[in-house]
Amino acid sequence: MITQKICMLGSFSVGKTSLVRRFVERIFFDKYHTTIGVKVDKKTVPVNNTPVELALWDIYGEDDYQKVKMMYLRGMHGYLLVVDGTRRQTLDVALALNDKVTQTIRDVPFVLLLNKCDLADQWEIEPDTDKTYAAKGWQVLRTSAKTGENVDEAFSQLSLAMLAKMNSTSSPGESRST
Amino acid sequence: MAEQAQRRAPQGQSQQDPPNENDNHAFEELRHLIIAPEQEELADIRERLDDAGRRTQDMSSVVAEAIQLRREQGDDRALSDALAPTIEETLRDSVRKHPHVLADALFPVMGPAIRKSITETLRSMLESFNEALEHSLSWRGIKWRIEAIRTGRSFTEIALLHSLVYRVEQVFLIHRETGLVLNHLTAPSVAAQDPTMVAGLLTAIQQYAQDGFKTQRDETLDNLGWGEFKMWVEIGPHAVIAAVFRGHAPEDYRVHMREVLEGIEQHYAAAFDNFKGDTDPFRGAEERLTPLLEERAREAVEPGKRKPRMLITVSAIILALIVGWGVYLSYRVHQWTQFEQALRQQSGIVVTSVVKEGGRYHVRGFRDPLAPDPKALLTKLGLTPENADFQLAPFYSMDDGILQRRIKVLLKPPPGVTLSMKDGVLVAEGAASPRWIAGLRDRATWVAGVRELDDSKLQDANALALKDAKSSVESIVFLFPFGAATLEPGQDQKVALAQKNIREIVAQAVALNENVQIEVVGHTDNTGVEATNLPLSKQRADHITKALILAGVKPSSFRPRGVGTTRPLRTDDTDEGRQLNRSVTFQVDISPVAP
Repeated sequence: MITQKICMLGSFSVGKTSLVRRFVERIFFDKYHTTIGVKVDKKTVPVNNTPVELALWDIYGEDDYQKVKMMYLRGMHGYLLVVDGTRRQTLDVALALNDKVTQTIRDVPFVLLLNKCDLADQWEIEPDTDKTYAAKGWQVLRTSAKTGENVDEAFSQLSLAMLAKMNSTSSPGESRST
Repeated sequence: MAEQAQRRAPQGQSQQDPPNENDNHAFEELRHLIIAPEQEELADIRERLDDAGRRTQDMSSVVAEAIQLRREQGDDRALSDALAPTIEETLRDSVRKHPHVLADALFPVMGPAIRKSITETLRSMLESFNEALEHSLSWRGIKWRIEAIRTGRSFTEIALLHSLVYRVEQVFLIHRETGLVLNHLTAPSVAAQDPTMVAGLLTAIQQYAQDGFKTQRDETLDNLGWGEFKMWVEIGPHAVIAAVFRGHAPEDYRVHMREVLEGIEQHYAAAFDNFKGDTDPFRGAEERLTPLLEERAREAVEPGKRKPRMLITVSAIILALIVGWGVYLSYRVHQWTQFEQALRQQSGIVVTSVVKEGGRYHVRGFRDPLAPDPKALLTKLGLTPENADFQLAPFYSMDDGILQRRIKVLLKPPPGVTLSMKDGVLVAEGAASPRWIAGLRDRATWVAGVRELDDSKLQDANALALKDAKSSVESIVFLFPFGAATLEPGQDQKVALAQKNIREIVAQAVALNENVQIEVVGHTDNTGVEATNLPLSKQRADHITKALILAGVKPSSFRPRGVGTTRPLRTDDTDEGRQLNRSVTFQVDISPVAP
C-alpha cells in the first residue's frame, strides 16, 4: 500500500478543515470550528488504478505565517495551499507560507486552492489570480468546500503529482536543516 | 310575593293604623316581604360559616376533588410540601401506636425488597470473597501477605507491585519522519482505532513536544496514558514502535520493544532509506512485531479466563467443605448410634427413650448406682458429653454382672472366698474366718437379688489351718543313727518346721477352743532285743521333746513315748526300712475342751 502524507496549509479560517471533511466525509458544516494543533484524517483513493492512502494533516491556521510550526510538515509528500478568496490577506499569507515551505523542504508537490468560490461575488482577490499563478507553473484550482466544487479534483491532482514525484528518483520530503 | 305585598298593603292602611304609622308599618312589612328570604339565606350562610361542624361537612364532599384538581393543574410541589409534614407525622403516630397496621400493609413489598437487598449483599460479598480468595488462598497471596507484614506496607500495595498484569492490544510500526503507519498489529477481539490517524497524531504530539519544550532529537515522549490505556513508545532513527496496552506492563517489556525496534532498523535499513510512501517492504516486519503482542498477551491474565478457575476453586472448596461436613455429621451419627447400642447393652442401665432436640440428645431411663457412668462411655467413644442430657432414675438391676458387683461391694469377701450367683442362690466357696462367715449368713439375703445362701462349700479357715498344721507335723520323721538317741546330722530344718507347725496347732486350737495333745513316738529297728530297743526308743522320744520344749513349745502338750519295734514305719527287710524305723514321729490329738 502506498501511503502519502498531505498537509493542509493556509491562513486562519480559509476552509482547510472543511475541505478535508468534504473530501473524507462528504459533508460540510457552516459552523466554524477552530483547529487546535493538528487533526489527522485519512482517505484511500485510487490513483492510476493504484490505491493510495492519504494521511491528511489538517494543521491549525495562522495569520502570521511565521508562527506556523514547520515540524508538522516533516516528511510530507505534498500539500494544499488554501486561500480564502474573500480575504485578500490570506493570499499573501499563503504565498509567504509557501516561500517558507519551499525554503525548508525541497520539491514537494502542492496545489493552490482558491477556496470559497461559491462566494465569488465577494472575492477580494483578483479574478485572474488563478491564471496568474498557473502561468508560473503552479497547479491552481478554484474550490468550494460548501458545494464540493473541485474538492476531489484538488486531492486527485495532488495525489497524481505526489505519485509522479514518488516514482522519480529523488527522495521525497528531504529535510533541510532548519 | 310583591303582588301579595301590594294586595295586603291597602287593606292594612284603610282598617287599623293612622296614616303615618300605617305607612311605616306597611313599609316594614313590605321590606320584610322583599328582603326576608335573602336575610334568611344570609343568616343560613353565616351559620354555616360559623359552624365548624357544617364547614367540615361541606369540605368533606369536595376535598378529594380539590386535591385531584390541584394535582392535575401541573408540576406544583406546593401540595406535596403542604401534605408532607402531616403525612410524616401521621405515619410516625401510626407506627408508634399500631405498628402491625403498617407492617401488614408493607408486608407484600418488604419480602421482595429484603430478598433483593440480601441477594445484592450476597453477590457483593461473593465477589469480595472471590477477590479475597484470589489473593489470600494462593501460595502467592500468602507470600505477598508475609512480605506486607515484613516490609510494613499494605497488602494491596504489595499485590499491586507484583501483579503487573497487562495486555498489549495494539502495536504500531511508524515511519518516524512522516508519521505514516508501516505496520500495525491488533490483538484478537480488540476494537482498534484507525492506525493512520493514531500514528499521525502520535507523531504530531511527538513533534509538538519536541518543539514546544525545545528538547533534543533523542529526548522524546516515551509514554502516554488515557483512561485504562497506556501507550509506550520506542523511537529509532527511522522508525517508531508504539504499544498500546491495558494494565501494568513490566519494565522489561520496554527492553523487548527496544530490541525489536533495533532488529527492524537493522533489517529494513535500505527500505527506510528509499521510503517514499510504499509500506509494502515493511509487511515482513509483522513477524518481528508479533512477539510484542503474542508473547505479552500470553502472559497477560485475562479476567474472563481467571474467574472460572477461581469459581471452580471456590466451588471445589465449598463442595469439599459440604462433603466434609456431611461425612463429619454422618460419622457423629454413627458414633452416637454406636454409643446408644452400647448403652442399651450395658448392665445396670435401661434406656426407655432417646430424643434429639436442639442439637442435643436427651436420654431417659434407669441406672443402677453400680452401673458405669454413661458420660464416661461417651467420652471413650469420642463424643462430647455436653451434647447429651441423661435423665436416668436410680434402680436395682438384677443383671448378673451388677449383682456380682453389688455382692462384692456389700459383703466384701476375703481372699480365698468365691461368691457366685445361680438362680438367685448365692454360692460361697473357700475358707474364711468364722466371724466373716457369720456376717455372711446374717447379711447375704439382705442383698437385693440374693434369695438364698449356699455356704456348704465354705470352710472355717481356722479349722482348716489346724488340720493342715496337724498333717504337716504328723508327716515329719526325725531319723537317728544305729543304737543312738541323738539325731542324725542335718535335721535342724525339720526341728524348726516341727516347732512352727506345733505353735500353729496350739494357736488354732486355742482359737477354736480345742485341746491339743502331741504324742512324741520313738521307734527302733528290729536289730537287737526289745529290752534294749524299747528304752532306746523312749530316749529318742525324750530327746525330740526336750528339743521342742527348749524351742518354747508348751511342755504340757507333749507326751513322749517309746514303742520299740512294735510300730515300725516300714518293714526291716531293707536298710532303708530299718533307717526309717530308727526314728521319732508325732501323733496329734485334738479334742474339744470339756465344758
